Amino acid sequence: MRNRIWVIAVIMIAAPCGAFAADQNVTALSVTPAALVFRSPDEGMRVLVMGTTAEGEQIDLSEAARLDPAESIVKRGADGLLYPVRQGETKVTVTARGAQAQFMVRVGDLTKAPQVSFLRDVEPILNKVGCTSGTCHGSAKGKNGFKLSLRGYDPEFDYEVLLYDMSGRRFNRADPARSLMLAKPTQQVPHGGGLRIELGSRYYNTILKWISAGVPYGDPKVDRVEKLEVLPKEVFMHGPSKAQQVLALAHYSDGSVRDVTREANISSNTPEVADVDPSARVKGERKGEAALLVRYEGKFVAVPVTVLNPNPGFAWNNLPQYNYVDELIDAKLKRLKILPSPAVDDAEFLRRVSLDLIGLPPTPEELRVFITDKTDSPAKRRRMVDRLIARPEFVDHWTLKWGDLLQVSRRYLGDKGMWEFRGWIRDSIAQNKPYDKFVYELLTARGSSYENPAANFFRVTRNAKASMEKTTQLFMGVRLVCTQCHDHPFEKWTQNQYYQMTAFFGSVGLKPGFQSGDEIVYDKREDYDIKHPKTGRVVAAKYLVASIGAPPIPNSPERREALVEWLTSKDNPFFARAIANRLWSYFLGRGIIEPVDDIRASNPPANEALLEALTKDLTDHAFDLRYLMKTIVNSRAYQAGIQTNVWNDDDKVNFSHAVPRRLGAEALMDALALAAGSRPKFPEVPPDTKAEEFPDPHVGKDGFLDVFGRPARESSCECERRSDISLPQALNLVNGRTIGDAVADPKGRVAGLILEGASDRAIVEDLYLAALCRYPTAKEYDTAAAYLKSGESRAAWAQDLLWSLVNSKAFLYNR
Amino acid sequence: MKTMRIGLLAVLALGSLGSQRLQAEVSYFREIRPIIQRNCQGCHQPAMKYGGLDLTRYESFSAGGNKGPAYKVDAPKESLVLAYLKGERQPRMPLGSPPLADDQIELFRSWIASGAKDDTPPEARESSALDKPPVYHQAPVITALAYSPDGSQLAVSGYREVLLHRADGSALVARLVGLSDRIQSLEFSNDGKTLVAAGGTPARFGEIQLWDVASHKLKHSVTLTDETLFGASLSPDGSRVAVGCADNTVRVVDTAAGKEALKISNHENWVLGTVFGVNGKRLVSVGRDQAAKLTDATSGAFIENINALRGELAAVARHPTRDLILIGGAERIPYLYMMDRPASMKIADDSTLVRKFEMQDGAIFALAFSPDGSRIAVAGASDEVPIYQTETGERVATCKGHRGTYAVVFSPDGAHLSTGGFDGRVRTYEVTSCKSERDFVPVPLEPQLASAR
Repeated sequence: MRNRIWVIAVIMIAAPCGAFAADQNVTALSVTPAALVFRSPDEGMRVLVMGTTAEGEQIDLSEAARLDPAESIVKRGADGLLYPVRQGETKVTVTARGAQAQFMVRVGDLTKAPQVSFLRDVEPILNKVGCTSGTCHGSAKGKNGFKLSLRGYDPEFDYEVLLYDMSGRRFNRADPARSLMLAKPTQQVPHGGGLRIELGSRYYNTILKWISAGVPYGDPKVDRVEKLEVLPKEVFMHGPSKAQQVLALAHYSDGSVRDVTREANISSNTPEVADVDPSARVKGERKGEAALLVRYEGKFVAVPVTVLNPNPGFAWNNLPQYNYVDELIDAKLKRLKILPSPAVDDAEFLRRVSLDLIGLPPTPEELRVFITDKTDSPAKRRRMVDRLIARPEFVDHWTLKWGDLLQVSRRYLGDKGMWEFRGWIRDSIAQNKPYDKFVYELLTARGSSYENPAANFFRVTRNAKASMEKTTQLFMGVRLVCTQCHDHPFEKWTQNQYYQMTAFFGSVGLKPGFQSGDEIVYDKREDYDIKHPKTGRVVAAKYLVASIGAPPIPNSPERREALVEWLTSKDNPFFARAIANRLWSYFLGRGIIEPVDDIRASNPPANEALLEALTKDLTDHAFDLRYLMKTIVNSRAYQAGIQTNVWNDDDKVNFSHAVPRRLGAEALMDALALAAGSRPKFPEVPPDTKAEEFPDPHVGKDGFLDVFGRPARESSCECERRSDISLPQALNLVNGRTIGDAVADPKGRVAGLILEGASDRAIVEDLYLAALCRYPTAKEYDTAAAYLKSGESRAAWAQDLLWSLVNSKAFLYNR
Repeated sequence: MKTMRIGLLAVLALGSLGSQRLQAEVSYFREIRPIIQRNCQGCHQPAMKYGGLDLTRYESFSAGGNKGPAYKVDAPKESLVLAYLKGERQPRMPLGSPPLADDQIELFRSWIASGAKDDTPPEARESSALDKPPVYHQAPVITALAYSPDGSQLAVSGYREVLLHRADGSALVARLVGLSDRIQSLEFSNDGKTLVAAGGTPARFGEIQLWDVASHKLKHSVTLTDETLFGASLSPDGSRVAVGCADNTVRVVDTAAGKEALKISNHENWVLGTVFGVNGKRLVSVGRDQAAKLTDATSGAFIENINALRGELAAVARHPTRDLILIGGAERIPYLYMMDRPASMKIADDSTLVRKFEMQDGAIFALAFSPDGSRIAVAGASDEVPIYQTETGERVATCKGHRGTYAVVFSPDGAHLSTGGFDGRVRTYEVTSCKSERDFVPVPLEPQLASAR
């Protein structure tokens, strides 16, 4: 309780003072933490001193500030840190730039300093100097016969290796200073990893002290870090070339706090925006946002860093806000001095929203009707959204999406299984089954995969580990794959948790069904326990995170219901958030957290308030995905143009303007069919089936669709659908049969226009509307019409025109 | 020559990031001392002191031996040490080994020329001199134990010494102080006259010590490789010692001459255990490459792998009268194998496996057969030392110990079992019941000084 009070900043009175005239004076100083408590003689700590300028800017004065203790029970070392001198309690006065503040210091009985322990003192050193890094002894095979856990995730293992391995050769109780553990990193003996610790340095002395004390492990209840705190909680700079000191404080369960800034691993996820130097000072490099990732003994904290655009003259443009999405996005943009791009016109909107909701561009007729409708634009657009969602193609489009994620493929399920599973997904989407119910049915499915097609989920994954990994990645956006072998390097997830979660799926069994090709999902009555690979012991099922109202886990093989109840609960911190983020990414081209299936503390959201609001909206509306889709596409942010202005041209993450997205393989093929009035034929499906209706990647395999990045459905990772641009694609567009045949189809759009004797003007307009979903400009009319007249075959020349339109970026991209 | 040395310095400097070592001056601590440790200290140590010279300390090196000071700072080229190293004086040093490389000799010259300073950092100074027994504040880890053949004495590894205790724990008979920080293996010859102690100083050198048991005098010190030696074993006739080395070799040393007789390079990783066959003609070695390899002990020729590879192997023991070997390591399971194969070998053939014993609670570090071969004892990372019946694999007794047991031996009469390890105490149990008989710290302990760091 007391700790919390320490953390609260005390803002003190400003004292007028002319001594610092060279620098701009500040109006107030704040000091954090508000008090320092020393327990050991060689413990160094410091405070952050922040000054407020007349303009309201917060600047870091930690280094420049003068610290005057009322009683000299502490002194400032050459490294700028405070070190204890003797027991006592005093006030320290902080003076900087004409302002003053105070904080408290207490020094405990230094003769009763806690004993050096492996957990609290030694393991952090091994991690800091790099012994446990992945390229050294932390690698899976260790180095030169000496293996430690990766980044020290398993201190108990490391302790045992150091002590017992090779009959205790690494330490020397008879002459501690001659321990191999000291001789190697100080290079008194040859060490492949080079000099890691200087003789006589602080780290050297700690290890020596530890060996001299008889290599105690420490008490996990007391000596493990309970919480990592990083100050400041957010770094906000008014422009590049500013700097901010960061402090990392480790809190222990006995109430003690240690300054671990020097031992913590601090890195920036975007060093080109804000970099951090070895003394934990963040420097602004250019405007933008970054996150500082601070890691210490298995605890993680992400600190957002903002570097503002330093240019003067920013004025907010007050674009209309259509719903809460815009309010929350604008709030962030305003703060970052980013000007959003205005919404697109009706034609552009209709193409974009149609492609996103139903996977098809609008027809020329739909466009004409929509553009000429005189209803006020936002209302007209909302009505169109409702209409699109009600169309059968909406079901096709989202069936395709979920088919990808759930890996619907005859490769795993056979023909009948594949059709049944797809049918179940289609029905679920057609009836707008609430998302929680959809997932509940999938994960609790039992019985014949033909009779209960949801059971096909487990026919794809086939074993407990794969089922667990897929469940957590797909429905929670959490990747646990790496924790199969070691604790997660950037998150709190442990190897234990991997197996605790896997234990929920241990009893899922598969056996042949009564019909050919069928399989039955059943609950195994024996051999369902999951064992930890290190200890060989049975691991009890346990939820990944605690959540209100999670049901007790039954001590029987049927544990799935409990898991799914916990998973799909509104209170699960990941479930609704993951799908809200995922849906958002389908419409904006990028998740608020990106990648969408890698949610972790070290990968913070671009706009937490927005993600939170979307999540709450979804749970408040009973997991109605259609409702959330409408909310998203009805926002101005979704409808923003791709044109940028000087204040948002380098914004990539805050949704201030749209980003062109290449059409997915199936949508591209269907858009081409619509533009050319001709559809390629595939033997596995009836004639005139849209590519978006294809049940699995078996149809049209190795053709146009695969060249354009259709996923093979080999994983449920969103990344499997490629949206890149490649040379084979370019060649296929220019010379490929798919486009060539479509454009020249004797029953196609061009042929129809020629046969009905349409005028040049009508041909040009129709082709522009069909391919690019807009009317041609006057200049385009003239150029195209002149081209049609220039050759001997009007039909062939019109085909050329269409060919060049579908080869344009405006066709290939959703923009 | 000059460029080579600069090159060497550059490499050192690159290796030691951040340390300002790119200066020309040669370091005694970092450059000269390691060469001496590796090549010279075997003979020029307090326990041998050939030529009256002790090279284990800077001070005694400066003082020199019977022929006078080892070097002259004002006339480096006339230094005795250089004359002996170059062969200008005979016999050329190091005796019986290849001469030092020219650039190594040049290091000596350059060091002398620049004043022959001792730059040993205070942190790296030795706490005990090599000419007297070390002073202990904490009990050192025990890594080796051996009973004398008559059962009267128990040899215990200490720090830089072997302690000879009366087997009943009633008295410390002698302290055999040597060069090596660590003694990894101890074994008495069958006639009880010689004690073999093998070990070394980690990452510095390996050493085999041959002690005369009656006089407590060091007969031979054989330094080998840059690393501690592991799993030494005597041939049944006592004429040879085999040791496992960190350079992936097994070395066989002639005990009479005190010279290396054979170097066997069949392993792919550190060799941690060796044992001779009953007739002394063949040798089994085990190591981190997971293999138990059968080798012709005379020629060093590889015969075959005995086991199916499963995990790093740390220990090997042979049945007292039959060619059966017991191996164990990281896999936690002791395996009993025949040394000989009744039929021709096939890949991954495991037909010579006699018995797989119970899986232990931790990695296996040490194994022992009772003198009649009827029992085996298994020690390691687990906190108990179980005893099994060799014939049935049945556990007959469980001796409660502590985590990290590195040495386990039966007394010659088969009635007692002694263990040693991490906590530095020797424990002796009655074999049938595992009742504890004795439990003592084998080294004299001085109280920790209050001012100690």
